[in-house]
Amino acid sequence: MFEYWSWWLSALSLAGLTIGYFLVLKVPLGVSGCWARVVMHKDSQSFEQDKSFRENPLMLKDSLMAATIEEFGRQAVIDFLAERRGKPAGYKQFDRKVSVASHVSWTVHMTFLLMLIIGGLIASILSGQFEFRSDLGSLHTSLFGSGVSYWITLIIGGVMVGFGTQMAGGCSSGHGLCGCSRFVPASLIATAVFFGTGIVVSMLLHMLAAG
Amino acid sequence: MKDHFLYGGFGLAMGLILSFIGFTSYEEIHKMFTFSDLRLLLAFMGAVGLLVLGFAVLTRSRNMPKKKFNKGTIPGSVLFGAGWAITGSCPSIALVQLGEGQLAAVFVVFGIFLGVWMYRNIASGSLKLDTGVCGEE
Repeated sequence: MFEYWSWWLSALSLAGLTIGYFLVLKVPLGVSGCWARVVMHKDSQSFEQDKSFRENPLMLKDSLMAATIEEFGRQAVIDFLAERRGKPAGYKQFDRKVSVASHVSWTVHMTFLLMLIIGGLIASILSGQFEFRSDLGSLHTSLFGSGVSYWITLIIGGVMVGFGTQMAGGCSSGHGLCGCSRFVPASLIATAVFFGTGIVVSMLLHMLAAG
Repeated sequence: MKDHFLYGGFGLAMGLILSFIGFTSYEEIHKMFTFSDLRLLLAFMGAVGLLVLGFAVLTRSRNMPKKKFNKGTIPGSVLFGAGWAITGSCPSIALVQLGEGQLAAVFVVFGIFLGVWMYRNIASGSLKLDTGVCGEE
């Protein structure tokens, strides 16, 4: 009979994964960011065209500035910057959409997400847990029932996860693991709030089920 | 191609780990949130503790982007926390569950896709929110 890894082995493996990811890929682990880049891949493509720009961010900045001045004139740029200084701190949204640019192609993020599936497949075969089933376990069905309403609950829950992580700017990996460990205030707040909400909602579900 | 192997390798490792530690089991997540089993809670806190040490050493020589607090941080986290409690899934979990044969996770995957799309295409513009993208700046 398979038993889940002990808490300390789990902690060690999660920390090792996060550190290894940062050491090798040179960016912090963030699964919600992978999702954003896959879902919004049409927007991120234009940022991937030229490798020399990717490797020299300053060159890209200079070229953009040169092109902007050529197109609109030096005064327009100065006026714009002056106007922007009057905006509240942190203002940087020029477009309706936020850039999802990345230094790798969106297909790389897609590969990452797809390999999560393969990882689950291999792990569950090795542990003997693999089993086709149409629910998320007996506890889950006892809380949420079955049939069409069960599926709709899962979709709505998924939308909350997708929408919420984008709005919060990260999830359990980006905020929780990478942010909290560096004492980033926004990540500490986000983690406290999503863990807290998870606790409250789970407690409520538990009480409702107990009746 | 090299990036595909590297990122793919980490995806594979993450899928294996999340499955072996039981993060993909709704029951384990529910037990974590209701404090009836502290194993996963300790695992998460232990990982953060180890990472405090790890990042303290690593980020001395290398800069790492820091997320900024904005008006989306709290409402977004509330939504995510509630969704996590309902589906047992954070953005990576639903995919790993699919691999394990938990086919109902396909609805969660669809929901996450829809949620990300809705936020990026509609909400971030009309709410005038720039909450950034996780992973790199």
